[in-house]
Amino acid sequence: MLRRTLLKTTAAAALALTFGVQAHAELNGPVNYIIPFGPGGESDISARLQQPFFAEKFGQEMVVSYQPGGGGAVGWASLNGLNGDGQTIMGVNLPHIIIKPAQKDVGFTTDSLNAFYMFHFTPDAIVVPANSPYQTLADLVNDAKANPGQVTMSGSGKASANHLAQIKFDKMTGALTTYVPFKGTGASVTALLGNQVKAQWGYTTVGAKQGDAVRMLAVAMEDRHPLFPDVPTFKELGYDMVGGAYRGIALPNTASAETTAMWSDMIGEINADPAFRQKMLDGGFAMLDISAADMPAFMADRVAEYLKDAREAGLIK
Amino acid sequence: MEFSHFLSALTPLNFALALFGVVAGTVIGSIPGLTATMALAILVPITFSMEPASALILLGAIYTGAIYGGAYAAILLNTPGTPSAIATTFDGYPMAKRGDGDLAVALACFASVFGGLVGAIALLFLAPPLSQVALAFGPIEYFWLSVFGLSLIASLSSGNLMKGLVGGAFGMILSTVGVAEISADIRLTFGSQTLIGGFGVVGALIGLYCVPVLIDLVAVPDRHLKVEEGVKTVRIGEAFALATRSKFNLIRSSIIGTLVGILPGAGGSVAGLVAYSEAKRTAKPDQKFGEGEPNGIMATESANSATVGGGFIPTLVLGIPGTPPDAIVLGALLVQGVRTGPAMFSQSGSIVFTFIYGLIIATVLMLPAGLLIGRYAYKSIVTVPKAVLVPTVGFMTIIGTFAIRNSVSDVIIMLCLGVFGWVVARFGFAASPIVLGLILGPIAEQGFVQGWTIGAATNNLFGMFFGRPISQGILLFTLITLILPLIVQWRKSRRFEEANQ
Amino acid sequence: MTPPSAMKSGGQIGSLLASLFFICAGLITLYDTTSYTDRDSQVFPQTVAIILVVTASFSFIARFLKPSDEGGFGTGIWWRRALLIIAMFLMGFLIPKIGFLPAGVVAFSGGLIAAMHERWSAKTFILYPISGAVVITAFYVLFKFVLYVPLP
Repeated sequence: MLRRTLLKTTAAAALALTFGVQAHAELNGPVNYIIPFGPGGESDISARLQQPFFAEKFGQEMVVSYQPGGGGAVGWASLNGLNGDGQTIMGVNLPHIIIKPAQKDVGFTTDSLNAFYMFHFTPDAIVVPANSPYQTLADLVNDAKANPGQVTMSGSGKASANHLAQIKFDKMTGALTTYVPFKGTGASVTALLGNQVKAQWGYTTVGAKQGDAVRMLAVAMEDRHPLFPDVPTFKELGYDMVGGAYRGIALPNTASAETTAMWSDMIGEINADPAFRQKMLDGGFAMLDISAADMPAFMADRVAEYLKDAREAGLIK
Repeated sequence: MEFSHFLSALTPLNFALALFGVVAGTVIGSIPGLTATMALAILVPITFSMEPASALILLGAIYTGAIYGGAYAAILLNTPGTPSAIATTFDGYPMAKRGDGDLAVALACFASVFGGLVGAIALLFLAPPLSQVALAFGPIEYFWLSVFGLSLIASLSSGNLMKGLVGGAFGMILSTVGVAEISADIRLTFGSQTLIGGFGVVGALIGLYCVPVLIDLVAVPDRHLKVEEGVKTVRIGEAFALATRSKFNLIRSSIIGTLVGILPGAGGSVAGLVAYSEAKRTAKPDQKFGEGEPNGIMATESANSATVGGGFIPTLVLGIPGTPPDAIVLGALLVQGVRTGPAMFSQSGSIVFTFIYGLIIATVLMLPAGLLIGRYAYKSIVTVPKAVLVPTVGFMTIIGTFAIRNSVSDVIIMLCLGVFGWVVARFGFAASPIVLGLILGPIAEQGFVQGWTIGAATNNLFGMFFGRPISQGILLFTLITLILPLIVQWRKSRRFEEANQ
Repeated sequence: MTPPSAMKSGGQIGSLLASLFFICAGLITLYDTTSYTDRDSQVFPQTVAIILVVTASFSFIARFLKPSDEGGFGTGIWWRRALLIIAMFLMGFLIPKIGFLPAGVVAFSGGLIAAMHERWSAKTFILYPISGAVVITAFYVLFKFVLYVPLP
């Protein structure tokens, strides 16, 4: 009787040990967080906000480095060639990683990117300078309808979230605005402030950063952003537009399931931290919590949605 | 702007940070392949535990040191340590080759300190009004600015305008290789995955400048740089005298540097180029630019150091980074909870002003630190036997290029460019126009496409390109730069003919 | 009067070939632009390529009509140049295979031999490789541990 119990316990312990050892991936040493853009953009800012929380919670340095090129394509094309031991991660952006491979052979495919967490999104917003004659969204739409093509709107990149938003909105209103692509949100903000263009397709983060120098006409969210209670949503004004640029993190696809799960938990833990959430919200970001488990369904939805939008917009065939 | 801010900048911690930052920055800047951006990106986490003002001072000091440090490699190895030192090679290396390397290094230090101070003072007193300059420059202005830059390249290719233009155009084409920024197309990769990343400026810099130097060094048994026997003391006194004699050059170049620094995306390389070209245009007959003229170094080094202060103007006033290092500084500030953007000066004024004073202190500290490091750098490059120097520099170029994007293919590309650059340089096609074309290409392209889009949409194409006052000014300058030397030449030959009759 | 030998000098031929290369580069670029889908991405390369072809042609014609001796590879020991370049390329190819430090040793040794014009003495034979080892290690440590660059 005793012997059987002993045997059972030993067996159970042995099993537990093996499983425990198997499922436990670890960090050893500083982590390389690659941003596939230049410094200063939303991807960079959100990474910088994560940095101190990471160091505090997990005791390791998170080293942010930049690999700009091709609107992110260069970084993503190189991701799966990097070491999959869990020490290297890279930021990913939607819709970029969906639309770019659909347009051309850019060196990676959407499915090949092992994205394990989507931790925020920046809702689309139409931004105008504070001294702009447009007080409401209706003003802008009416001007665009009366003068087709004359309302110039800056935005970051082509076939990006900003560009897609502009095309989608034009279809909804029936007006014709002109999209002027800039390299990054920063450059498109500069153009807006300098009155080189009449308005900007930007994000809520622009409104947060620029404060009183700009006015947001509408945001593409379900409910108003807590930081901007006076800015209506597109939905309120009658346009069904909810979305923006989603950002998350990926590992090389050679990383093991344990490593992926470990990272998903770590980023999830940072994302759950109320202090982190507050900092992000103060910056104008909107939070999202899509972990590795939810990722496949989320991505499937987004892929379907973006490819449909892009096809309608004429960006892909 | 009270005195209390100045005092808080002078605390032992901030002072130590400024000194450390300047020294570390100088060392990093002097290694080709390591840029200020890289250094700042690594060091940002350290600043999280600091006061915002102290963090800013450390980052600003590193930035200042790095822009100065680029001059060492430019003067002693004909390789700009950072892109901002490209124009320093024009006169720096010739000076080093004829034995005046220590003088050149000392001059670079004085000029950098002067330029840095001018930029910082502009930041202190004139930031809000000057920030409007950043906004006034639209896509078209950037386009004409890069055309101006190209014309400078051509006019600086002494004697061979055509070949300079060829190099510049070729560099611009190289800049288009890879995924296009403004559209989704992939250009000139011929299906290769390695070329999708395009030709990075820093890698091309190292390849086109440094590798040819190495190839030639191994080929002949002569010493690398001539060393004047019997000159014991570092020629600081001589350098200082020269600097004070060229006050006007220094002031003008620093102002140019500050203004160019204010323009987001322009950077130290453009500033150095414009300042150099202006100095050359207004040169006295006995000044031989391009053959080791001290005024050349003073112009470029003061201009590129002034971009540090100038770049902080739009960064701190508008929240728009003037250069990539500024963007990193903004990120560091954001983490600290500082509201960047237009409200910064009013809401966080004490941080801002303490920082600016700290920047001034760091720049002043660069004088003794820089002279000391410079002397050491000069001595080591000159005394190290060539047999060790060449492999060391070769190794450094490879590790430096690798570090840019952690990519071995970058190294191979760099070496290929290097051999190519050496070959064509032998037949009159210099490296500088190609590199400058590489830098200016994206600016020109984006400015052109954006300007065209806006102009076409508003049915104002002609007015867009030719009707804006700043653009007209730049265009005028371009024409003057291209035509004036021809007129001068024509008049000279006329006078020559008349004298002979 | 330009000496007849200038027509066939290395400098002359090389210069013409270089100009020819640039003309071809411009033409290839023009050809490539036809495959772009977006008009925006064609404009700039086309303009610049045309400028390249025009200026390179001018350069070619000018040199052709006025042959001179300028340019050329000059004096210099060829095998040393080749050794240096080969050593550096070799390092590039070897880094992913045998790691950074061993590849660095390869490049350094190649460069050292290529640059060593004097005869080897006992002192130099020991001192130089040691300094090389020091340099390589110093840079390796700086990049890998201070700057967090992942060197293989």
